[in-house]
Amino acid sequence: MPLDSLRSLVAGPLLLNQLPKGPHYGILAEFATPADLYHACQRVRDAGFTRWDAHTPFPVHGLEGAMGLRRSPLPWIVLVMGLTGAALGFLLQWWVHVKAYPLVISGKPFNSWPAFIPITFEVGVLFAALGAVLGMLGLNRLPMHHHPLFRSRVFERVTDDAFFISIESWDPRFDSSATRKLLESLGARSVELLES
Amino acid sequence: MSERDQVALRPEQATIPPGHSWNRVPVISAVCALLGALACAMLGASNPKQFFFSWLVSFLFFLSLSLGALFFVLIQYASQGGWGIVLRRIGETTFAMVPVMAALFLPLLLGLHDLYSWTVPGAAERDALLRWKSPYLNVPFFLIRAAVYFVIWSFIALLYYRGSRGQDVSGDARVSARLRRIAGPSIIVLALTQTFASVDWIMSLTPHWYSTMFGVYFFAGSFVGFIALLSVVAVAMRSAGLLDTVITPEHLHDVGKFLFAFTAFWAYIAFSQFFLMWYANLPEETIFFKARIEGSWKAVSLILMAGHFGAPFLYLMGRAVKRRGSTLALGGAWLLAMHYVDLYWQVMPTLHPEGVRPSALDVAAFVAVGGCFVAAASWLMRRQALVPLRDPRLAESLAFENM
Amino acid sequence: MAQTEAELLDNPVAGHPTLILRSPDFHAITEVVAGPVEGPTPIGWWLLFLPSLALLGLLGVAVSWLFWEGIGVWGLNVPVGWAWDITNFVFWVGIGHAGTLISAILFLFRQTWRTSINRAAEAMTIFAVMCALTFPGIHVGRVWVAYWMFPLPNQMSMWPNFRSPLLWDVFAVSVYGTVSALFWYVGLIPDLAMMRDRAKTRTRRLVYGIFALGWRGSVRQWHHYESAYLVLAALATPLVLSVHSVVSMDFATSVLPGWHATIFPPYFVAGAIFSGFAMVLTLMVICRVAFHLEHIITLRHFDYMAKIMLVTGTMVGFAYATEFFTAWYSGNPYEIFTFLNRAGGPYAWAYWTMISCNVISPQIFWFKKARTSIPILFLMSIVINIGMWFERFVIIVTSLHRDFLPSAWGYFTPTIWDVSCLLGSFGLFFTMFCLFVRFLPMVATAEVKTVLPQADPHWQPGPERAIRDRGATPPSRGTHTPAPEGAA
Repeated sequence: MPLDSLRSLVAGPLLLNQLPKGPHYGILAEFATPADLYHACQRVRDAGFTRWDAHTPFPVHGLEGAMGLRRSPLPWIVLVMGLTGAALGFLLQWWVHVKAYPLVISGKPFNSWPAFIPITFEVGVLFAALGAVLGMLGLNRLPMHHHPLFRSRVFERVTDDAFFISIESWDPRFDSSATRKLLESLGARSVELLES
Repeated sequence: MSERDQVALRPEQATIPPGHSWNRVPVISAVCALLGALACAMLGASNPKQFFFSWLVSFLFFLSLSLGALFFVLIQYASQGGWGIVLRRIGETTFAMVPVMAALFLPLLLGLHDLYSWTVPGAAERDALLRWKSPYLNVPFFLIRAAVYFVIWSFIALLYYRGSRGQDVSGDARVSARLRRIAGPSIIVLALTQTFASVDWIMSLTPHWYSTMFGVYFFAGSFVGFIALLSVVAVAMRSAGLLDTVITPEHLHDVGKFLFAFTAFWAYIAFSQFFLMWYANLPEETIFFKARIEGSWKAVSLILMAGHFGAPFLYLMGRAVKRRGSTLALGGAWLLAMHYVDLYWQVMPTLHPEGVRPSALDVAAFVAVGGCFVAAASWLMRRQALVPLRDPRLAESLAFENM
Repeated sequence: MAQTEAELLDNPVAGHPTLILRSPDFHAITEVVAGPVEGPTPIGWWLLFLPSLALLGLLGVAVSWLFWEGIGVWGLNVPVGWAWDITNFVFWVGIGHAGTLISAILFLFRQTWRTSINRAAEAMTIFAVMCALTFPGIHVGRVWVAYWMFPLPNQMSMWPNFRSPLLWDVFAVSVYGTVSALFWYVGLIPDLAMMRDRAKTRTRRLVYGIFALGWRGSVRQWHHYESAYLVLAALATPLVLSVHSVVSMDFATSVLPGWHATIFPPYFVAGAIFSGFAMVLTLMVICRVAFHLEHIITLRHFDYMAKIMLVTGTMVGFAYATEFFTAWYSGNPYEIFTFLNRAGGPYAWAYWTMISCNVISPQIFWFKKARTSIPILFLMSIVINIGMWFERFVIIVTSLHRDFLPSAWGYFTPTIWDVSCLLGSFGLFFTMFCLFVRFLPMVATAEVKTVLPQADPHWQPGPERAIRDRGATPPSRGTHTPAPEGAA
């Protein structure tokens, strides 16, 4: 399962270049409450849309399930980075104290591995944390300062108290009038067609 | 809220039904205990020293599970944690065994001279350090302290056990409030008594040696031991059809997280103690570890590093492992075994400094002590509800959802 | 107001206390948090900022003079080669740990009350680590070769000594600073986006916008974001334990009586959390009062913080008792002397200050009245920090000034430059904190919104609206409807 997400991580940037030929980016619908959004997401997922997203000011519990999202592969990235960091940290110390400039310090053997543990651990954690942050930014395709959604005035409230669903026009099931009607029927407060 | 949701769990759902296979456990364990005791008597007659050391290890193992359980439940009360209420009765049953352990302590009193070199008459005259320590390390004070520990532990254990069992009947919410209020002071008293008990019973096996970390080390091991026991018992209950709708993967997940975290904590404490003594290299401190990294004891040390930390750490990292009963219980059972190995490694090198000498008495003592422990605990389980039926927060625990 | 709030405090049996008072909606939270950043600078801010800036200037002067003249401007001598410098280092690192505990460890324990204070606490961590790192940096003597501490290939084939705890410190505290900064920044991204979307001027929109990285609240992004947050919390937790353990090993790996004790790692960690929470308390009292955040940083939050201080303070007391007993038990005359000297020797005044501040005075927190009284909390937070500073001072100086050979005994007295460096470090800390409070949202707005009852998609508003402020309204996940009322 994590492999699917990794595949989309690689395919994503390629897909982004296949912008729609038409004049529209997609449809943006605003909802009043998390509950409304939750139920609407379930219906949109069940309707078979794939190129769509929901937007909230804070993470809403259970929404990933309502959208049918798979688990994030981030923990695997972090694990690999962490183990790599720890190995590099230990290797550095071992090489310095066994190969490069061996010195007898406080009567300990050259490969004094217990003494190497603190730094090994710290470097492992550092790499793991970097992996988490860079991995998260990579998976989220951030920074992305320009996005068609920012053109909507209503969308400014996405970081305040408004909840949205956006369906992109190059989803195979997209149709400007039918999709609009669907979103309106799901209890949207406002529906807007966005240019690309 | 309480009234409506308490009806959601009927007493029949939370007791062992008549005719269930678990009803036979008390008798089977009692028979095992008897057989173990007989084997101890027969084998121990020719090798009393070995008997006392084996008995000490097994005694410490089961006592540490009880004390770990007591800490766990006290912390749940003090922190007002709601998730673990369905599991609390397992902990309560475990720490209700403290009086049983008090009885099982008695055989050791016959072997004090074999176990503790400082109890041998004339030891203090020949050894200046023992002379210095004799205000503390003398038999009468040792016995008084042991009595005090068991009285205090039994008092706290029975207070909490009776309080919780009483609440099953009365449903009185004030019981929870009262138990919560005294949890803090109880934890302090438990921490102090457990520290001194570990000094008395384990650290003084090597009377010249000392470590400020030792009480914490014993606590860490006992806590891991109890959480491991909790995971095994909870999963076993589910497989036996008891509480299988009550204890959910959400609860198992949390137990798994605790197991993971405290395995790491144990490793941190154990490593700190070893590392600081290794680094400073002072002979008065290194004697403890020197005995345990030479000969075949080295293999046991490596087993502890890899088996009590390395493997369980990697194993319990994954989410799926913690949520599935079979995989979690495997981890728990493994860690229980490792906890025994840890205590064995702490105690046995005093008797066998030359190397590991497994003995039939190790098994016999374990069966004898363990048989009593399991018999008493399972007998108690038959006579009580398996969850605190009328705890005001039971509903919250039943509906608990993990991250 | 205080009376009503006190009535709301936890019914010890109910599971879901109300965390945010006055039932605000999401927009109200946004307004109250963004307000101090967008509005005009209150006079109170200048009253804290300007003196802090002055103290920062003092730090600059003191450090410059130190570099110019050398370590001799401090009161250090033989045998006391470490005194205020390392005391301050450990003090500041310890303070930083509370921030990580609040952000990371309380997150792992699902303690949703942390959301009101975690942003400020994380900022505090970063600024505390900045203050901490100045001291080992300036105390080396030849600052111009401080780069020798890093494993950089050079023509002398010289490498740092990885077996030394002083070097583990360099790595540990740097990693801690980095990871804390990353954790803080990741948490800030959604709130920076909030500031961006509300920005009235072009400059603000540009600056907040750049650092918000184009965040648009996409659930697909939240998905990975939450995973990263959990991972960072899970990493920060052992990091906190390891960093202060490594710091304790500066002392514990030695052979000095009073320094070499195996309990040091967990003992120092408990002490760090203890003093760190005290500093968080100081800051939160100031923020709550200055910015009218009484319904977000509530008495309940202070109650919980005081309880944590009681727990960690007790652990510290337990460690004192264990050390004392073991010193006697060991029969080692040097150990025994060290402890008698601490309590009755030339530094007894420091020792008893430490005991009364750290062991005796926190016992007041057994009483709920004390845990929920703002004046007592503020006073205690300062008392505890004084006590914890003295603990580090007592450990370091009493073991150094009288060790094995009486002919090598001495006494340490601080100079004006020792004092200037300490006061100056407070200047650095409070200057950074003032800037933070002025330009960034000091409450984790997105996180606080998640603990409001209406954030749960399964929540149904009921007729209890009027009395929702009282008793057990479950704000968290669950499929049951809120209780009719809880005990008041």
